Amino acid sequence: MSLLEVTNVTHTYATGSGRPVLHGINLTAEPGDIVALVGESGCGKTTLGRMIAGLHEPTGGTISFDGQDIAKLKGRQRKQWRRQVQMVHQDPYGSLNPGLTIGSTLAPGMLQHKLANWRNVQDKMLELLEQVGLDPTPEFLQRYPHQLSGGQRQRVSIARAISLDPKLIVADEVTSMLDVSMRVAILDLLLRFARERGIGYVFISHDFGVVRYFAQGGRIAVMFFGHIVEEGPVEALITKPRHPYTHMLLQAIPVPDPKMARKRTQTEEDAKGERLIGEPATTGCVFANRCPLVQDVCRKQAPKLADIGGGHRTACHFSDQVPPLAHMVGTTAGGDHDRNGSKAADADGAGDAVPVAHHPAGD
Amino acid sequence: MTTTSVDTDLLLQVDNLTVAFGDGPGSVKAVQDVTLDVKAGEIYALVGESGCGKSTLAYSLLGIVPAPGRVTRGEVRFRGRSTTTMDKTELNKLRGAEISMVFQGAMNAFNPVLTIGKQVEHILQAHPEVFDDPKDGRAYFEHLLGLVQLPPERIWSSYESQLSGGMKQRVAIAVALLLKPSLVILDEPTTALDVLNQRLVIEILNDLHASLGVTIIFVTHDLAVVAELATRVAVMYAGRLVESGTVDEIFSGGRRHPYVEALINAIPSVLDAGLKVKPIGGSVPNLARLPEGCRFAPRCPLAEDGCRKAEPPLLGDDHDHLVACFVTNRSLNGAREGSEA
Repeated sequence: MSLLEVTNVTHTYATGSGRPVLHGINLTAEPGDIVALVGESGCGKTTLGRMIAGLHEPTGGTISFDGQDIAKLKGRQRKQWRRQVQMVHQDPYGSLNPGLTIGSTLAPGMLQHKLANWRNVQDKMLELLEQVGLDPTPEFLQRYPHQLSGGQRQRVSIARAISLDPKLIVADEVTSMLDVSMRVAILDLLLRFARERGIGYVFISHDFGVVRYFAQGGRIAVMFFGHIVEEGPVEALITKPRHPYTHMLLQAIPVPDPKMARKRTQTEEDAKGERLIGEPATTGCVFANRCPLVQDVCRKQAPKLADIGGGHRTACHFSDQVPPLAHMVGTTAGGDHDRNGSKAADADGAGDAVPVAHHPAGD
Repeated sequence: MTTTSVDTDLLLQVDNLTVAFGDGPGSVKAVQDVTLDVKAGEIYALVGESGCGKSTLAYSLLGIVPAPGRVTRGEVRFRGRSTTTMDKTELNKLRGAEISMVFQGAMNAFNPVLTIGKQVEHILQAHPEVFDDPKDGRAYFEHLLGLVQLPPERIWSSYESQLSGGMKQRVAIAVALLLKPSLVILDEPTTALDVLNQRLVIEILNDLHASLGVTIIFVTHDLAVVAELATRVAVMYAGRLVESGTVDEIFSGGRRHPYVEALINAIPSVLDAGLKVKPIGGSVPNLARLPEGCRFAPRCPLAEDGCRKAEPPLLGDDHDHLVACFVTNRSLNGAREGSEA
């Protein structure tokens, strides 16, 4: 029994085209796992994340937490589950109530779930502020969201999530609206809670760079228009993708190296123009319209998500023909070295995802 | 691709420009003493974190700094003519037809109750000097839509709510090119787009630059996008220019401003497992309470006592690769500091 089991989840929004936004999604996570959901805008990754956090109900399939179907939970059990699954949203400007002080944002949850009482709630809140790298003073608790920077607000959101001592946090694009200089600090903060408290994450992002940093040792599920098209361990999936869509996503990432960028523009033509965007196919493989490897069989028969060994699954008829990522080969050497080093360092296991040497800096 | 352009005329010159918000002792200089030249045919990137003045600088190029901001010193010259002293009629002629701008958040750039076509017609009416016949204008717009890989017929009759974020961004780029400007300024053109739409916008801007010969200035906080798109780069920090040079000079890792170094190291890259990534401590200083000396010193790993006393000048080498840092600029005189962070 896993902590989280998403079984055959399908969802269709009542409005719109009537086309399902999720098709038969299966996903599991053990306690302390980091599972990243990756895909382009509109692929359903946020919808799935919100369902796992209990903010939407799927129209088909079940989501179980700790062995129990969350749709059937009642009373005290429902309240327990609500506490154990928390969400941190993308927009630090929109996800805090502008009319509430930081104190009024943090206190009610802990009081409601009896994790604090009126006498010690202030101390608990100051402790939380310290843990997320904010100024642990009563004055800070009196501040309003508009008085804080984006990074500080995101830290408040994180404090709100961890205040309830959750087992799983759904983190939806938590760094995409922050300045580059602040992103890593926020990711490190979340990773520290994974390490220290064994919190698991469903980490939603379209940025493979961020995912590779955050989800080391975990898994990635790549979504395309409501389907999981590939799923596997982070390093295997990024260095040897076995689905052409994953390959395309990886290839599209801008790299901070002008020489490499120019070389790629000259040599690689397959991920160009109309293939980058566009509608899914309605028959056969969902990716067929945009796939550089497409053949007749792909238009007729939808490939199943099949195991290819090493916990790696892909839904492609020609998964062995997905080309290696030429521009990444040269640089993964250094990465390999680092990874081996880290393997040795965390041989004691303990669900430790990343050995992060530095401390997150204050904003 | 080579970085040498055929036409090396100076298109835009920013000369010692200072833009201040407010008066008197409470005044804040969002842009301070910035000097830069943009040659025709370049793709010029303005880089920095939020609050470093890059958008204000971009606005001042068009004379649209929002009040109470105003240019207090220096000037902007477009083809040798000062835009800072131009009157309103002259400026209006310049805007759109010579210099156009794509604002940040193209999602909000359109009127939600008019079709895209109607809004394009309004632009054509306001600038009758560009096309003899409005039909030519529409035909040219549809040609541009083709270049940004959108279906012309469908877009013309669409409302913005019917388009995705990536599509709106590309429509906004096409609209900016409608009056055949020689310079387009884009504010954060790839922010808020997913990675595939980002890639598409990068490709399209590269193609438009090649096929229309338009000069591009873009503002971004994303150094990876700079590496993919720019030919020249200016990095700003707390209102000042801290480094400028060709894209290769900025990324080569030779003489480099520690802020640029820190920004590059702060990007979690997909190219490695990310263990080398380092966040930058602290944040951009409040412009009303700037530190003494170099503005980056409080966050700088190389900072020395001297850095906290005086502001470093922007010094160049033979190729006009400018850096404003006391420590890194020592290598200019051959006395290179051995310590690397």
